[in-house]
Amino acid sequence: MKELITISKLTIGYQKCAIVKDISAVVMPNELICLIGRNGQGKSTLIKTLCKLLPPISGNVTINSNNLFNLSDNEFSKLISVVLTSKINIYNTSVKEFVAYGRYPHTNWIGKLTETDQGLINNAIELCGINHLVNRDFSSLSDGEKQKVNIARAIAQHTPIIILDEPTAHLDLVNNIEIFKLLKELTQTHQKTILFSTHHIESAIRMADQLWVVENGIFYANTPKQLVDQNIINQLFCNSGISFNNQTMIFDYNH
Amino acid sequence: MLILIVSSILLFLTDIFLGSVQIPFKSILNILTQSGNEKESWQIIVLNNRLPKALAAVLCGAALSVSGLQMQTLFRNPLAGPYILGISSGAGLGVAIFVMGFSIFGISMASYSFLYNYGLVLFSFLGSLLVLLILLGAIYRLKDIMTVLILGIMLGSIITAFVGIIQYFSFDSQLKSFIMWTMGNLSGVSNQQILIITPILLLTLIWSFLVSKQLNLYLLGEDYAKTMGLNVKKFQLTIILITAILTGVVTAYCGPIGFIGIIVPHLARMLSKTSNHQLLTPLSVLLGINVLLFADIVSVLPNYETVLPINAISSFIGIPIIIWIIFKNKRITNVG
Repeated sequence: MKELITISKLTIGYQKCAIVKDISAVVMPNELICLIGRNGQGKSTLIKTLCKLLPPISGNVTINSNNLFNLSDNEFSKLISVVLTSKINIYNTSVKEFVAYGRYPHTNWIGKLTETDQGLINNAIELCGINHLVNRDFSSLSDGEKQKVNIARAIAQHTPIIILDEPTAHLDLVNNIEIFKLLKELTQTHQKTILFSTHHIESAIRMADQLWVVENGIFYANTPKQLVDQNIINQLFCNSGISFNNQTMIFDYNH
Repeated sequence: MLILIVSSILLFLTDIFLGSVQIPFKSILNILTQSGNEKESWQIIVLNNRLPKALAAVLCGAALSVSGLQMQTLFRNPLAGPYILGISSGAGLGVAIFVMGFSIFGISMASYSFLYNYGLVLFSFLGSLLVLLILLGAIYRLKDIMTVLILGIMLGSIITAFVGIIQYFSFDSQLKSFIMWTMGNLSGVSNQQILIITPILLLTLIWSFLVSKQLNLYLLGEDYAKTMGLNVKKFQLTIILITAILTGVVTAYCGPIGFIGIIVPHLARMLSKTSNHQLLTPLSVLLGINVLLFADIVSVLPNYETVLPINAISSFIGIPIIIWIIFKNKRITNVG
């Protein structure tokens, strides 16, 4: 199989101030990739750079051998759908209408939804289990519900790649596991390639095909097992009273 | 929607019917349809005075409302509007420079009526464009949209001060015509001016409808809009251009008319319960026409001898509605 995304020698940051240097990684189709790291290490910066919301300082990213940074906004929107952490304040819009936003890059100038579009919208609603919400107003939803609806929107956008910035940030344990399972399912049975950042390291280790770690300006990419064996996961929280148990694959609190 | 179309036609006819000279309704219809022989003085009053005034109300109402709707989406602020953000003031500056500024240097524009009419529109448009561009520049630097609003108000004040200086150095006759202009006046619009602004405004209104889809997408926020295929910078410039044309052109001849641009989009959202601009744009056009025709009718009602300045009426109607909106749904801080 041919690689889908290739990142080579990418340096990211704000205004020439590099946060993470020399990022190199290869993503194969249908992989689930979790990006982990402590707060302020550059997870969001990396996500934003890959979503073209932030220009890279140097380096290159190719998707299907096309340079990511040369894609037009429209070409991008048909290749990658994005779920960000920024709050969406939109009123007088039903959940169904919100999910339909995912079809915007594909519709004509007036935004007319064809039967195919309707099918994809319903499909996304089904997948995310938000059938009971469709007639509610988006602004009346809880944070967790909003997150699911927004993910449904991204699925309706029907792109081979989905990138999410901390999709489980505001969710309780049940919602959290549901989202992980949903994302895993999408890569296994719906030919999606998914990259998302998360703080739920244990779940990430269990579910991800590949883990990306940012730590002190250094980027690691490998299978979860390799990273655990190399003790990189354990180093994440050194000096903080928490250590990762390489056998049980969970964190221990040191007393 | 249909009700609004019917009511705007009714208000349009009422607006033509009312005035300091009483003309029977049947004669007015005859004059408008050019059938039957009516008194020549009546014909002049209806065709050269009341008809252009009513048409001006229609055009102003539509243009200012759509301009307000788009500004509220662009600035993601419910209080945005041509008047509050200082864009009308910008247009005023353009007009002040044109009407009074040139005469300071001994050039009198009023003597070339053709040039005068076009120049007025151009300068008014450039004035509003200037303010909008400054505001847009501010949006790039200041992420907080509330600050941008305050900046707009500040900008409006500075411009007013600047206009004051121009006024100080200008001649009495021009000063008076400028002061009259600032009060907002639909009846000052001539048939020739209507002919100039109608095609410009119609085309721009069609253009505003064509960007509905982009406006909808922009409601999700800049980042989402960009990742979903919107060329954000190009879009922002487009909206700035549209709103500057709509505000500038209208303000050139009718003066700054307040509050219509703020309240009408809110009324449209409240009536339709939607955030879809494909609906909101035509709805704002219709509501704007209704509201301004109504304001114009009120302005001639109390006293058949004189006409009240339209700006006073629009404030009287507009401000209570804004206050009512604030109290009724406390979510006025949110667009949509």
